[in-house]
Amino acid sequence: MATILTIFLIVSVATPFLARFLKNHVFTVVALVPAGAFIWTLLQGEQIRTHGEITETIRWVPQLDLALAFRMDTLAWLLALVVTGVGTVVLLYCTQYFTKREPGLGRFAAFLFAFAGTMFGLVTADDILLMFMFWEITSVLSYLLIGHYTGKKESRGAALQALLVTTFGGLVMLIGVIMISVQVGSTSLSAIVAAGVTGPMAVTAILLIIVGAISKSAIVPFHFWLPAAMAAPTPVSAYLHAAAMVKAGIYLIARLAPGYADLPGWKLVLIGLGVWTMLVGAWRSLRQYDLKLVLAYGTVSQLGFLMVIVGFGTPDAALAGAALLLAHAIYKSTLFLVVGIIDHAAGTRDWRQLSGLGRKMPVLAVITALAIASMAGIPPLLGFVAKESIFGAFLQAAEAGDPYGWIALIGTAVGSILTVAYSARFFWGAFATRTAACVSTEWHKPPTAILIGPGVLAVVSVLLGIFSPALNAWLDPYPESFDGHLEGHLALWHGFEPALFISIAILGLGAALFWKKTQVARLQEALPPLVDSSRGYWSVTRAVDKISAKVTIFGQRGGLPQYLATILVVFVLVLGTLAAIGNVWPTTFRLYDYPQQVVIALVMALATLGAAWTRKRMAAVLLVGVTGFGMVALFAFHGAPDLALTQALVETITIVAFVLVLRRLPGNSQKLTKRVHRGRRAVIAIGTGVVMGAIALIALGSRITDPISAQLPEMAYYEGHGKNVVNVALVDIRAWDTMGEISVLVVVATGIASLLFVSGRADKKGRRGLRRPATALGRRSVLSDPDIQPATPGARQSWLVSGGKIASANRSILLEVLVRLMFHPAIVVSIFLLFVGHNSPGGGFAGGLLAGLALVFRYLAGGRYELREAVPIDAGKLLGAGLVLAVGSAIGSLFFGSEILSSAYLSADIPVLGYISIGTTTIFDIGVYLVVVGLVLDILRSLGGEVDRQQDEADIAEESTDEFSPRQQVPNTDLWATQRVPIVPDTPSATDTREDNR
Amino acid sequence: MPQQTRDKHRLAGLSQGLLALGLLLLWCLLWGSFTPLTIITGILVSTGVSFTFYLPGVELSGRVNPWRVIVFFVVLAWDILRASIQIAWLAFAPNFKPGNAIVGIPLNTRSDLIMSWTSTAISIVPGSIVVDLDRSGSILYVHVIDVHSEEDIQRFIQEVLDTERRLVLAIGSKAEVVRVNEQHALARGRKNR
Repeated sequence: MATILTIFLIVSVATPFLARFLKNHVFTVVALVPAGAFIWTLLQGEQIRTHGEITETIRWVPQLDLALAFRMDTLAWLLALVVTGVGTVVLLYCTQYFTKREPGLGRFAAFLFAFAGTMFGLVTADDILLMFMFWEITSVLSYLLIGHYTGKKESRGAALQALLVTTFGGLVMLIGVIMISVQVGSTSLSAIVAAGVTGPMAVTAILLIIVGAISKSAIVPFHFWLPAAMAAPTPVSAYLHAAAMVKAGIYLIARLAPGYADLPGWKLVLIGLGVWTMLVGAWRSLRQYDLKLVLAYGTVSQLGFLMVIVGFGTPDAALAGAALLLAHAIYKSTLFLVVGIIDHAAGTRDWRQLSGLGRKMPVLAVITALAIASMAGIPPLLGFVAKESIFGAFLQAAEAGDPYGWIALIGTAVGSILTVAYSARFFWGAFATRTAACVSTEWHKPPTAILIGPGVLAVVSVLLGIFSPALNAWLDPYPESFDGHLEGHLALWHGFEPALFISIAILGLGAALFWKKTQVARLQEALPPLVDSSRGYWSVTRAVDKISAKVTIFGQRGGLPQYLATILVVFVLVLGTLAAIGNVWPTTFRLYDYPQQVVIALVMALATLGAAWTRKRMAAVLLVGVTGFGMVALFAFHGAPDLALTQALVETITIVAFVLVLRRLPGNSQKLTKRVHRGRRAVIAIGTGVVMGAIALIALGSRITDPISAQLPEMAYYEGHGKNVVNVALVDIRAWDTMGEISVLVVVATGIASLLFVSGRADKKGRRGLRRPATALGRRSVLSDPDIQPATPGARQSWLVSGGKIASANRSILLEVLVRLMFHPAIVVSIFLLFVGHNSPGGGFAGGLLAGLALVFRYLAGGRYELREAVPIDAGKLLGAGLVLAVGSAIGSLFFGSEILSSAYLSADIPVLGYISIGTTTIFDIGVYLVVVGLVLDILRSLGGEVDRQQDEADIAEESTDEFSPRQQVPNTDLWATQRVPIVPDTPSATDTREDNR
Repeated sequence: MPQQTRDKHRLAGLSQGLLALGLLLLWCLLWGSFTPLTIITGILVSTGVSFTFYLPGVELSGRVNPWRVIVFFVVLAWDILRASIQIAWLAFAPNFKPGNAIVGIPLNTRSDLIMSWTSTAISIVPGSIVVDLDRSGSILYVHVIDVHSEEDIQRFIQEVLDTERRLVLAIGSKAEVVRVNEQHALARGRKNR
C-alpha cells in the first residue's frame, strides 16, 4: 500500500511535466496507476476474505507514536476498489472531456491524480492521525480542483467555501481524533474501534469526529458547499462529489460504527441529520433546472441516506450500507459523466433548453436510464438490491422495538419517493422531446470514446445487481464485525417480504409525483425554504471579514512609528515589569572587562544620540552605522574575529541598503510639530534602552549551569573537523538553525523583490541583447569610452562593461577605475573566505557578503546595466541554487543511512597536491554563500536597479510634458537636473562598431 | 585587421593575463603558501573569476620603473605620517582657526589610471580629500584643511602635482613622463625667476 502511494506521489509530481508533451492524453497515461492499484486491490480480495485484513507499517515519527500504518480490511478494500476504479474511469473520461488547449491542464491532471492517491491513502490508513492528514489533503486538493477555472469568481468562491467548511469540520475532528486516541491509548484506527471506549470523554470525542464527517459528506447543516462546488469541471464532480471525497465522511462513520454506534448521541445525530438531509436534498433537487444541480442536490440527499444506514449500527444495516455505498458511487459518477457529455455537446445544462437528445444519442440515453434506474431502485440493478436490504434492516430493527428503526424507515422511504421523482425528472429533462422547447437543441456530436467510461460503470451496475448474491461472500466480514447476528443477505429476490412492498409503493408514489410535476412545482413555489444554511455561512464569513477589517484598521493605521511604538511599549511594559518584580538582579557585576570597552561604548552612545537628534536621514543612517561598527570593535577586542568580520560586512551591506532606499525620500525627515510627540518618543526610547540593558544584565547574571559553549571547541575540532568554532557551529553543530535562517533570507529576498517588481523578478526584455558578444575579444578587449569622442587626442578607455550607460554627470571615473581593479580581487577573497572558513575566520556567510559588496560597488560605479552584465542570471536562480545545495547536502546524508544533516568528511593524500579534506559541510557552506549573494543581488536589483528604472521613467514622463504645463515655466535651479541627459538606450553593438571603424 | 587594432588586442590580452597573475598571487598569499595545491586551485579560481565576471581590458602604459615605485611609496608613507601628526596637532591646537578650501588642480596626465591613483594617494593622506574630478580636463577638486593664504594653496597644488609626477615616473607611459617632466621644468623655472 505504501508502494502504491509512493507511485502516486511520484507520478503526480511528474504529471505537469508529462502534460507539456502529452497534452490531454496525459490522463490516459496516468490512469494506468489507479488502474494498476484497482487490479492489485482486487487481487487482495481473496486474502482479505480469508484472513480479514492485510497490514503494513513503516515507522515514521516514533516520538509522536505516528507511524505510516496501513490496513486493508473489507471496508477499506471496498472503498479502495471504488476509489481506484471510479478514479480510473474518470481519468480516462478526462482525456476526451478536455481539449488540448485547456488552460492549466497539467496542474489539473496532477491534482486530480493526486486526489485519487490521497483517497486511496485515506481509506487504507490505519493510523488515525495519518488518516487525518490524508483527510486534510483531500480538502486542499478539492479546493484546488473546484477552483480550476481560476478566472471565474463563482468558481473561486465555491472552492473557498468548500475549503472553509471542510477544514472547519476537519479541525473540530482533529480535537476529537486526539481525544479518542488519548482515551484509547493508541492511534491505530482498528484498536480504537476494537476498544469501544465509553464515558463522557468518548462521547464528546466521537461527536466531534462526527462533525468532521458530516461536514465532509455535506450533511445538513453543512450541505450547502456541495451544490456550490458544482462550479468545478464535471470530472471533478463525478469523482470528488460522487465517489470519493464525500464518501470519506461516510467511510469514517462506517469505520467507527462497529465500536461506537451504541454511544449516546450517535444515532440521534446521524439518523436525525441523515433523514433530514435526505429530505432536504431530494426536495431541493426536484426544484432544479440545471441538470448538474439536480444531481448535486440528489447527492446531498443520497449522502444523508448513506449516513442513516451506515450509522445505524446493526449488522444487516452495515451490509446494506456497504451495498448502497457501492451502488451510489457507481450510478452517481455515471450520471455526472453523462451531464458532462451533455454539457459539452449541447452547450447547456439547463433542461428547459434541451430537447430531443434521446433520439440523437440513444446510447447515452440507455446508459443514463440504467444509472437512473439504479438510483431510483428499480430491479435488477444494484441500487434496488441495496434499497431492499436497507428497508429490510430498518424493518428488522423496528420490529425489535427500536424507535430509530421506524424513524429511519419512514424518513428514508419518503426520501426515496422523492428520489424516484427527481430521477425520473432528470431523465425526462435530459432526453425527452418537448414541444415546449422552441428549437431542437443544437448538437455537437461528442467523440464515441467518451461514452466508454459511463458505459462501463452502467454495465457494472447491472452486473452487480444481477449477481448480487455473489457479493455477500466478499462483503460479509464487515457486517460481521458488529455485535449481533447477520440475518440478511444481498439478493435480487427475497420473496414476498414487506421490504418488497415498500419498494413497490415507493416506485408508484414517486412515479405519481413525477406525473403531477406541475402541481408539485407549484407547491414548492408556495412553501418557503425551511433551512438555508448557505445564508448562515455567508453571514458568518461576512461578519468575520468585517471584524478583521475593523481589527486591522484599529491595529494597523499605516504609520510605521505607531507600529514601532506599540511593539516597544509592549516590550517595555511586559519585560520591564517582569524585570522589576522578578528580583533576579545579579549580586555582583563588572563595569567593564577592559578600558577600550568604555571608549567604544561612549562612541556608540554618542552616535545613537546623534542619530536620534539629526533630521538628515542619511546622517542618521550613517550614525546608526557607527553603532554597528562599534559592535565590530567590541567583537574584535573580545577575541571574536569571525564575528567582527561578519558584523562589519553586514553593517556595510545594511548601510548600502538603507542608502538605496532613502535616496528616494526627501533628505530631511519630517519635523515633529508637537512637543508632546517628541517627549513621548523620547520616553519610549529611553524606556526601551533601560529595559534592554536591565535584561542583558539579568540574563548575564542568571547563569547557573556551565555554558554548553565550553564544549563547542572540542566538538568542532574532533567531530566537525574544523578549527573555526563559529563556522563549524553554523554549518554543522547547529546546521538546522542555519537552514532555517537561509530559508528566511530567501523569503526576505523574494519579499523585497515582489514589492518592487510587478511581474517577475528580473526585467527579462533585452537582457540577452545587452550581454556583450560571447567572444573573448568583445568581452575583454579594451573598450573605448562612449562619453569621450574617439577623435579627440584625449581618448579614454572604458573601465566597466556598461560604464557609458549612465549619464555623464552621474559618473565617477574614480569609482569606475577602482571597481575595475578591485572587483576580481574581492571575488577571489570572498571565495577564499568561503573555503578557509572551516578553520579560520570566514565562512559562507562572510564570503557571500563580501562578494555581495563587490557587486554593490559594481552597481554604484556602473549602474543597473553594469550589474546585469556582472551577474547575468537572476537572483531567484541564485537563491534557489543555494537553497538546493544546502538542503541537498542536508538530505544527502539520509541516503547514506545517517541522520539528516550529519556531516561526512573525505580526506586523502593526493600526490603532488598534498593533503586534502573535503566535508559535506563545505557544500552546505557554498549553499549559504550563494543564498547571501542572491539576497544582495536581489536587493540591488530591486531597491537599486528597479528604483532607478522607475525614476528614469518618471523623469522622462516629466520631461515630456508640454511647454505650457506650469512645471516647466518655473526656472530650474537644480544644476543636476539641468545637466541630466535622458538616457538613450545605447546598444552595445553600436559601441562595438564605432570602435572597429576607428 | 589594422595594425593599431591588433596592437590593442595584444595589449588587452597582456593586461588580462597580468591581472589574472595578480589574482593568483593574491590567492597564494591569502593561503600563505605556494604549494602545488594552492597554485593549481589559484589558477582555477583566477581564470574562473576573470572569465565569469568578465571586465574590459585595461590599457597599461607598458612601462614600470621599480626604483620610482619605491620612491613613490616611501614618500607617500612619509606624507601620511607627517599629515597625521599635523592633523592631530590641529585638533588639539589652542588657537585653531578654520581655513578650508576646495582647490581645482589641473593635472598633467591624460591617463585615467594615473588620475585615479593620484586622487587615491591624495585622499589617503589625512587633511586632503578629492571631492570631484573632471575627467576630460584632468582636473581634481580637492578639499584641503588648514590653508590660510594663496601661498598655502599654491604649495598644496605643487604637492599634488609632485605626487602625480612621482606616480607617472613610476608607472606612466613614456609620453606621460615627457609631458610631466616638461611641466615640472616649466614650474621650476617660473619659481626660480
